[in-house]
Amino acid sequence: MKILHRALVLSMAMAVPAFAQQPIVLQWQTANLTESQYEPIWKRTIAEFEAANPGIRIEPVLVARKDHWTKFVAAAQARQAPCIVTVDLTTAAYNGYLLPLDKYWNAEPAAFRNAWSKDILASARWKGELYGLPIWGGTYGEIYNRDMVVKAGLDPAKPPKTIDEYVAWGRKLTGTDHWALAVLGGKTDTTTRVLLTWIWANGGEAFNKDMTEATFAKDPKSLAAIKLYLGFAGKNGIAAPAPTTTNYLEQTNLFAQNKIATMRNAYWSVAKVVGDNPALKGRMFATPIPANVPNAPTLANVAASSISSSCKYPDAAWKFIKFDAGRKWQVERAVIANWMPLRNDVANDPAITADPMLAAFVRMGEHARSYPLPHPAWADIAANDIVDAVQKALLSPEKTDEIFRDLDVRVTRKLRDL
Amino acid sequence: MAASRPSRARPFARRRLYGYAFVAPVVVFLCAIVVFPLGHAFWTSLLRVRGLRSTFVGFDNYVHVLSDDAFWHSLVISLAFTSIAVSLHMVLGLALALVLDTLKSARTALRIAFLSPWMVAPAVGATIWLWLLEPQFGVVNYLLRATGIVDAPIAWLGEQLLAFASIVAVDVWRGVPFVMLLMLAGLQTVPPEQYEAAAMDGASTWQRFRYVTWPNLRYLLIVATTLDVINTVRHYDIVGVMTAGGPAEATQVLPVLLYNTAFRGNRFGEAAAIGVLLLAIVLALSTFYIRVTRIGRDEVAR
Amino acid sequence: MKRRASARNALLWLVVIVALIVTLFPFYWMLNTSFKPASEIFASPPTFLSSHWTLDAYATILSQRPVGRYFLNSLIVSLGATALSVLLAALAAYGFTRFFEGAATAFIVLLLFTKMLPETLLIIPYFRLMSELGLLNTHLALILAYSSFALPFSVWMLIGFFRSIPLEIDEAATIDGASVWQTFFRVILPLARPGLVAVALFTFLIAWNSYVWALVLTTDSSMYVLSVGIANMVGEYRVQWNELMAAAVIATLPVMALYALLERHLVNAITAGAVKG
Repeated sequence: MKILHRALVLSMAMAVPAFAQQPIVLQWQTANLTESQYEPIWKRTIAEFEAANPGIRIEPVLVARKDHWTKFVAAAQARQAPCIVTVDLTTAAYNGYLLPLDKYWNAEPAAFRNAWSKDILASARWKGELYGLPIWGGTYGEIYNRDMVVKAGLDPAKPPKTIDEYVAWGRKLTGTDHWALAVLGGKTDTTTRVLLTWIWANGGEAFNKDMTEATFAKDPKSLAAIKLYLGFAGKNGIAAPAPTTTNYLEQTNLFAQNKIATMRNAYWSVAKVVGDNPALKGRMFATPIPANVPNAPTLANVAASSISSSCKYPDAAWKFIKFDAGRKWQVERAVIANWMPLRNDVANDPAITADPMLAAFVRMGEHARSYPLPHPAWADIAANDIVDAVQKALLSPEKTDEIFRDLDVRVTRKLRDL
Repeated sequence: MAASRPSRARPFARRRLYGYAFVAPVVVFLCAIVVFPLGHAFWTSLLRVRGLRSTFVGFDNYVHVLSDDAFWHSLVISLAFTSIAVSLHMVLGLALALVLDTLKSARTALRIAFLSPWMVAPAVGATIWLWLLEPQFGVVNYLLRATGIVDAPIAWLGEQLLAFASIVAVDVWRGVPFVMLLMLAGLQTVPPEQYEAAAMDGASTWQRFRYVTWPNLRYLLIVATTLDVINTVRHYDIVGVMTAGGPAEATQVLPVLLYNTAFRGNRFGEAAAIGVLLLAIVLALSTFYIRVTRIGRDEVAR
Repeated sequence: MKRRASARNALLWLVVIVALIVTLFPFYWMLNTSFKPASEIFASPPTFLSSHWTLDAYATILSQRPVGRYFLNSLIVSLGATALSVLLAALAAYGFTRFFEGAATAFIVLLLFTKMLPETLLIIPYFRLMSELGLLNTHLALILAYSSFALPFSVWMLIGFFRSIPLEIDEAATIDGASVWQTFFRVILPLARPGLVAVALFTFLIAWNSYVWALVLTTDSSMYVLSVGIANMVGEYRVQWNELMAAAVIATLPVMALYALLERHLVNAITAGAVKG
């Protein structure tokens, strides 16, 4: 009898792991999985997580960046979205595609939660609820090509601090077949990002405090900044030609090929430039964006990991998100892929301080506003309306005032039409 | 037309049941795979969709879309794009077919060569052209500058009119091969006796074309044009890859507006309304076109 | 007379050569770029015939992603769609031309109507449909989708083709004792082979080159088709033109080869089928 009993218990004990061996499969989709700089890192992240959590398997969903949102939405509409996603947070939350994470967040120990500042977390909240854990970001600064600067007779140790100084530098940096900068006017939201940095650097505001009104033209400092920036393009300007087809990609190409001397971009662009043109390694320096007001905010693109509302295993998903947000990976991403860490406890990590440019960007991040701006219609406004206005103004500069007044009206209507 | 059938093959007609059996698979397939998505699209146009929530709003979306400048602007661009592109497809396709038909040597090689743009996916072809037309580093600008035709790089996709022209040009590159193929096939069916008769009457090349070739190709031309219009008006890839509707909405054809409304604006109800309106326009155009030319066809019918 | 003819011939050849250059130059540039080392892509002036031609780009692509797997998926899906499309269209065309002749044109128009909606609108309902049918992430989902796209043209072509096959042949077969099914399979279909080949090529092309549907309907990267797998190699933050062009070459070569082989059938088929409709 005892032997039978023992055998029963033993077989049950063996059966339990057999059942538990059905792994939970979590799909993970973020547009960055296809970035070649990031690939070695995420592969190791997954490997180490799976080793530490035998019941969970992470399945990366590789999507080209431009199709990332389309694929996500198609799946979300059929309630089959990947469990772990990095998407435009406010839009996705508004549309009901994401799970509120407060219950997970509040259950975490204070030591963990304190690594994120209130501001950073605010960028992942919608209507007070937390919808994502900010994982990495990109702070926009001004990156210079040291050799071109020296060649123009300028001193790299004394970079421009105000907009006027920048313009003076710009004139010297422009010559035959090379220019000071590229004005971004292509049909992606990077156009909007750079435009915002110019507006903010001049002390202007593009929106009112609670995002119910657009003030591109209404705010005189904003309009002045827009006109100055867009005015760089044009026949005798200091900007490279063809601004209406210049996106992030074209800008970094121009910079890598020594066609433009400065690039307003985030640190990740440096890795891309070096990949294109290894001769530029170590030949660049970065400064905060030249501004006319003290402590002008720059722009920090924040990417957060979220859980989709149709996820069947949110607990497991949260485990992975926590793991991925750990110090180790933040540092690695910063060092290898040049993506800014968002935890405030990594700034003094030796790997980070060893890279002066990275340290500079981290410091710039202390005066940054998070992007995307928190409104459900932001993706639409940023990639369609604002870009259209920029393109129209680039093609008909004399109508700039009118164009941006119309933009104010159009965008205000969209902001209120929820 | 094929052989007339006065005696409707009595044995066959009795076995009408078999007819249903043959036709059933397609009909079932259509109902399952095609009708549902179509119905869904129509139904969505009557909803206000905000993510996973939707409310019935009747024709609100249509009102909204039709009162938005963007729609009418896109409509104009679409009509202009389609009419110019299709005309060029037809003219160049026919011309190429005639030329190939006249030249007797290297036919197969030439046909394969001229068909190649059709074989490449439109998005891939558009990407190649994107690289060719790159203002700073593209080879087209380089060649133009090297040969002294222009002295500054041209922003092919950066200015309204130029961008529109570039899109049309790339679409012509993509679309001519298929028309050429259809026309080549059509030219094979022109009865040689008619050409001989024309030669004996001392007809010139132009007269041969006008009185022998053209009437024989008429039906095919009508069909080809209709198919081409339908395909071109709903074409998204080339514009999507090259300009995304810019600059300043100069190339924002309706399918691009639709895509932007659906996947950037996240307003699926409105996007569906745009789609249904587009369908109505295409339907109207095709019906009108066929009506007008059917009159001609009946004249030609033997 | 002869001089006029040869002068005209020369002119025609000139036109052909110009047209050839415009048509083929992009392909030449695609190949050229795909063989360049990364450092040469942005060279000014651009190189037309580099002395540093290398297979680096191809090596990178083929090693980074399971291109062989993608190729296989593309092949399975394309062949499946082709088979289904040919079968359905042939059955339908036979049914209509032999039994419901009056409804044939109306049916074609109906099919055309289904094609008038832009693709974008159909993405989400297709996804829902395949999700409900439990077909997400399967080859079958794509096979069904692609067949439906190819149907209008296929049915139109084959109806035209079958119309040109006289009913007397059917009757002769019946008199010889063949059942309707045997008539269709053994007698009529072989006669329609050029048309079937044309439909097959056409469907294969649609299936092979399609991107958006595979993108949305497959999530598992082991199910990715070539077009999707290749697009994933393009990050917005890092695009290597030589790799991109190499990927384009890999994606396009199979279709080109297929068409080169079967091109003869295509013209014959369209001649007989589409024109006489």
